[in-house]
Amino acid sequence: MPSRGWWPLLRPYVMIAPAMAGIGLFVLYPIFYLIKLSFYKYNLMNKAKSKYIGLDNYHQIFTRGDFYQALGNTALYTVGVVVCTMVLSLLAALWLKRKSRWNRIVQAGIFTPHIVSIVSIALLWMWLMEPNQGLLNYLFKLFGLPPSAWLQSSKTALLSVILVSVWQGIGYYTLIIVAALQSIPPTIYEAAALDNASRTNVFFRITLPLLSPQLFFILVIMTIGSFKVFDTVQVMTGGGPNGATSTIVYYIYQFRTTNIGYSAATGVVLMAIIGLLTFLYFRLLARKVHYQ
Amino acid sequence: MNPEYARHPIRVLADYALKGAVVLVFVFPFLWMISTSLQTFRETMAFPPTWLPASPQWQNFVHAMKAGPFLTYARNSVVVTASIIALQLVVMIPAAYAFAKYRFPGRNALFGLVLLAFMIPGQVTFIPVYLMLADWGLIRTLLPQILPFLSSAFGIFLLRQYFMQIAEEIVEAARLDNASEAKIIWRLMIPMSTPALATIALFSFVSHWNDYFWPLIMTDSNAVRPLTLGIAMLRETEGISNWHILMAGNVVLVVPILIVYLFCSQQIVKAFVYSGIK
Amino acid sequence: MASIEFVRVTKSFEKSSVIDNLNLTIEDGKFTVLVGPSGCGKTTLLRMIAGIGPQSSGEVRIGGKDVSRVPPGKRGVAMVFQNYAIYPTMTVRDNIEFGLKNNRVPKAERTRLVETIGATVGLAGYLDRMPSTLSGGQRQRVALARAMVKEPSVFLMDEPLSNLDAKLRAQMRIELIELHKKLGATFVYVTHDQVEAMSMADTIVLMNEGVIQQEAPPEDVYRDPANLFAAQFIGVPPMNVGELGIDGVRFGFRPESADLAVLSGAERELAAAAAGDPIRPGAGAPKPAGADEARYAFRGRIATREMLGAETLYQVRRDGEPGASFMVKCFADRFAVDQEVELEVPADKLFFFDAAGDRIRRDHPAHDAYVAALCSREPAHA
Repeated sequence: MPSRGWWPLLRPYVMIAPAMAGIGLFVLYPIFYLIKLSFYKYNLMNKAKSKYIGLDNYHQIFTRGDFYQALGNTALYTVGVVVCTMVLSLLAALWLKRKSRWNRIVQAGIFTPHIVSIVSIALLWMWLMEPNQGLLNYLFKLFGLPPSAWLQSSKTALLSVILVSVWQGIGYYTLIIVAALQSIPPTIYEAAALDNASRTNVFFRITLPLLSPQLFFILVIMTIGSFKVFDTVQVMTGGGPNGATSTIVYYIYQFRTTNIGYSAATGVVLMAIIGLLTFLYFRLLARKVHYQ
Repeated sequence: MNPEYARHPIRVLADYALKGAVVLVFVFPFLWMISTSLQTFRETMAFPPTWLPASPQWQNFVHAMKAGPFLTYARNSVVVTASIIALQLVVMIPAAYAFAKYRFPGRNALFGLVLLAFMIPGQVTFIPVYLMLADWGLIRTLLPQILPFLSSAFGIFLLRQYFMQIAEEIVEAARLDNASEAKIIWRLMIPMSTPALATIALFSFVSHWNDYFWPLIMTDSNAVRPLTLGIAMLRETEGISNWHILMAGNVVLVVPILIVYLFCSQQIVKAFVYSGIK
Repeated sequence: MASIEFVRVTKSFEKSSVIDNLNLTIEDGKFTVLVGPSGCGKTTLLRMIAGIGPQSSGEVRIGGKDVSRVPPGKRGVAMVFQNYAIYPTMTVRDNIEFGLKNNRVPKAERTRLVETIGATVGLAGYLDRMPSTLSGGQRQRVALARAMVKEPSVFLMDEPLSNLDAKLRAQMRIELIELHKKLGATFVYVTHDQVEAMSMADTIVLMNEGVIQQEAPPEDVYRDPANLFAAQFIGVPPMNVGELGIDGVRFGFRPESADLAVLSGAERELAAAAAGDPIRPGAGAPKPAGADEARYAFRGRIATREMLGAETLYQVRRDGEPGASFMVKCFADRFAVDQEVELEVPADKLFFFDAAGDRIRRDHPAHDAYVAALCSREPAHA
């Protein structure tokens, strides 16, 4: 039986082949293609007229104000979303961690936006944030606050987008932290109680360290997720007003047909930023994370 | 955290009130969406807002659905989502099994590529992928929305973890029972990992049914657009101030998922938590 | 049926070899127990026979035929795993039937076999239950039935009883012995429990660190251990061992081979004096009348007493002298803690081992000299 000889050796490769082909074709190869494109002045209509221009696209990126504006917006957005979501979902999780019917209902409630399309969420909030007829300004008025222009002013537009993202994401992260909290063995807390530990001590010396792997995971996921924000911006503001909510991915999207090489170069920059952030997190934080 | 000491009834009451308020913050916007979708234009423009329509305006839905080829959009959404889930499962199960249960040269390096793919968002690679698919002449088909999701790095990762938890001896016992590897997967691995498979399928369903970015990039005609794009395009066709029509379209997109969620929120919540912790 | 041969077999994991150049023949139809501490390579051998952890080099033969290239399912072997490895998503019937289906046994035949075997192992009423509803003992029987139904020529068992409670384990030992008698197949049984090895085996293969230490029937391993490892592995409590002080030789005796006697007042004084001045000559206790044969004697204090029912275990120790401590097993429960006693072992119950741990048998030229040296020691001398 000669087939017995090579088939078992080959079999694992055959089994992973379709998956690896998919990854190779649609993730890995495009990265190289993207890098190649970034060195060209690409002509969509006539490929033959595409021209190698070296680092010109990159040079252009770093000298253009609108790129820095998009980068700044993205950074602000990321910091805002990550900090708010992290703090609020940690608080919510501590508040809702006991297993009870009520808590399950609240958890399911705050999780609802997460399973709904971002398009719907965006449209819904555009309606709520409508300056004249919107519900939010009505509530503001009810409580005697001055109405806000929300998405239509460059001062508040980015903040409004952050608000929507936090609202949508908080439920998911709360659930993950709740699950992590529930997996901490209660005997640890019983031992701490017998040792007469104060509540703050218990939180900072026991709960937080034991939670750190999940919090670290959330931090990485959230940062990458925030850096590629697009849908909310595209639907709600179209990057406006005056580029106040333009983000990197939206920036790439804008040039995707008019200047493909430039757009690709920006994509490479985005990839580098995400890679760098992930690397930094692992370098700086991984050591402080407590793995059981 | 601490053992439950008897708490003051006022504190208990305040706790419930706060919980109710929080749920309202997250659920009320959806109720508001439904209410608006049934109002007249005049009612939406009123200030203070109209909480409930005087008489439900069902024709808003008809109006919204006539604004574009919504049947086509819906069909596209169903076909794309179902194909992605089916293809992903077919591709991922053998791959996860091989990564979990075989030792072969290059295994760790190849699995490293899977993890790398997990970290690289479509927002980075969409331009080359689009050019590639355009070269292949596929832009006017549904394939650009399906093929790039053929192998789900997340799914392979999760399923491999799950397969690794299945005792090696079970596989060995089956081999001693003269079962082929295909049979081991079909009769043992798949039935034993239904929770993981359900999680992955559900996750895939939610993310692709709701996807906006990818179809926005990959489509240039209504014949291949999904519901999410159709709804977003209502803004242009209906004008930004016709909120009752926009919300009616929105209801069509959201309510099916909300109904599913209402009936199996616990499973969905578990699935998402599970995927997040692993 | 089928004998099993290992010919110059080597198994390595990630460069370090667990088994190196091993030869072993397991006789057809015998109940062979591979026993040794964990990590000794016994399970590795079993997995080689099954084909689920093939050897790195060398040959494994079943019934004289090299099976190195035969897949596990076609070797005519069945295996019972430590954790049973029952298919959790199949009913008991499907579990037992799975192998038959894969071997394309016709349905009527399958049903007949499953019903018969099910009844044999006492699962008749449980065939359509899911494994999760069964007790540990019942799962064990499912695993057994699944192996039996294939009518294999070789039965492999990897610590199959270790997950059962003590009472059920004793019962299953007897059932396995009877099963072996009834089937007449080759049984290869892996365990780290010497009680299982002693009680069930026709042949014990004792292993340590990938090397076979001794291969013999249980009574031979017990009475005539090949080396220090075998002597100390088999027997509860293990053989007492002390330094002879010549050529690095060690002597040993079984706890049940020693006799104990309480010292009289005069002897106690002598013992105390001897302890205070160990080099004083001629302080030995007078030998009991009629003891013309040589004996090893040791004086000490009873440090602990464990009453086990039929027998009692004493630890006899001389304080302050490392290594001066021996276990004694008596059928009479006559002694109390802190009593001063003398322990005596007849010369023919003494074992000697050389510096490498190998046994120095009676026919060894130096054997008698070692006996003489040990038996002339003062009872109070360390």
